[in-house]
Amino acid sequence: MKKEGIKPKDLITVGIFTAIMFVVCMAVAMLGYMPIFIPLLTVLIPLVGGIPFMLFLTKTKKFGMVTIMSVLIGLIISLMGMGVWVILTAPVCGVLADLIFCSGGYGSVKKSILGYGVFSMWLIGNYIPIVMTRDSYFENLAQGGYGQEYAETLMRYIPDWSLLPLLAASFVFGILGALLGRAVLKKHFVRAGIA
Amino acid sequence: MAKEFLKSGADSRKSLLDPRTKILLVITIAAIVLGGGSGRRMNVIRPALTAIPFVLFLLEKKWRLAAAYAFSYGLAYWGGIFLIPVTAGFCNSLLVAFCGIFAKFMPGIAMGAYLMNTTTVSEFMAAMERIHLPQKLSIPLSVVFRFFPTVREEYGAIGDAMRMRGIRFGGGKPFRMLEYRLIPLMVSCVKIGDELSAAALTRGLGAPVKRTNICRIGFGVCDAIAMIICIISIFLFLADKFAG
Repeated sequence: MKKEGIKPKDLITVGIFTAIMFVVCMAVAMLGYMPIFIPLLTVLIPLVGGIPFMLFLTKTKKFGMVTIMSVLIGLIISLMGMGVWVILTAPVCGVLADLIFCSGGYGSVKKSILGYGVFSMWLIGNYIPIVMTRDSYFENLAQGGYGQEYAETLMRYIPDWSLLPLLAASFVFGILGALLGRAVLKKHFVRAGIA
Repeated sequence: MAKEFLKSGADSRKSLLDPRTKILLVITIAAIVLGGGSGRRMNVIRPALTAIPFVLFLLEKKWRLAAAYAFSYGLAYWGGIFLIPVTAGFCNSLLVAFCGIFAKFMPGIAMGAYLMNTTTVSEFMAAMERIHLPQKLSIPLSVVFRFFPTVREEYGAIGDAMRMRGIRFGGGKPFRMLEYRLIPLMVSCVKIGDELSAAALTRGLGAPVKRTNICRIGFGVCDAIAMIICIISIFLFLADKFAG
């Protein structure tokens, strides 16, 4: 890989894929309006997001693009008021993932699958406030319009010990999502000539 | 409305607020209305913040947006007050969740829509440059915002195409639906993106000179008022959260 900076074309690519990733995540996250789906989001979002992300990786050849994407995701998520923690977790996961991709020269299949697993762990930022500041979060939900029942059910689904399993789930399903993404890539995008 | 997001054409009228003020308003409203506690003072601040997008829509003469916002927010709000006591069981919890979430998200979304609707891409870029956000972030960020409506439009077009061929919801198989809808969407988005970057490069994006901008942005009286409102609400919000 030749040493080259990130060009404006790359920045636009990052923007486009961030938008796609974000729309996909939001579409899936709408399910969260039934409490049972909130913990399940760590399964669904990495799985579905794997498809756009794997396509994104075929366009990524420089260090920093994945990092920028994660910073943007963190920024937008917190701009929309869905938790301030993501602004920390997303860049951390993004840089780690970027390093993994970079060590594989952005071409290695194994590294890209592993990297997406790591990248997916940014989701945990959405759960940290539930556990860390449980009382105020609960009160907020119950009085802020979601209703007592929703809040209680959600609290039952996400006990204190659940952060680690959720983290693990997002990693594992990130890997599965990456596999799914690669399969889709092979089936459609390579044939359509855009990967 | 969708097509106007971060509109690219220049409007004859200058927008009321500076883009930076608008962003501050979005952050304030999203943070406080969505995540706010419910103390005594918050019960004053929250309705006030909820009204801000409405007032701004009116001031900018966006009548349809103002009406849509007032109508949908009112519906969710009154639905929450009148319908919830008279329903029960599953219907009730569905209604509680729907009205509650809707009423909570609406102000933030409306403010975001205001930001997008009244800010041109150039103004946005100029503002981002003023706050010294590196181009590595500001370019993708403006692409993201420019792209949301495109994604929605393309999604609608794909839905139309599938309906014409008699495919609904992926023929009842959820994973098929993913394949039938997401993949064409991504293909068309990537193509549009290539065109977008070609257009942007032609117009000198990323040239090794400092970009100039003809947009005049700056703070005025309206900005000052909006900022004061933001600062007061944030201050009270924090005081409520940590002291009260």
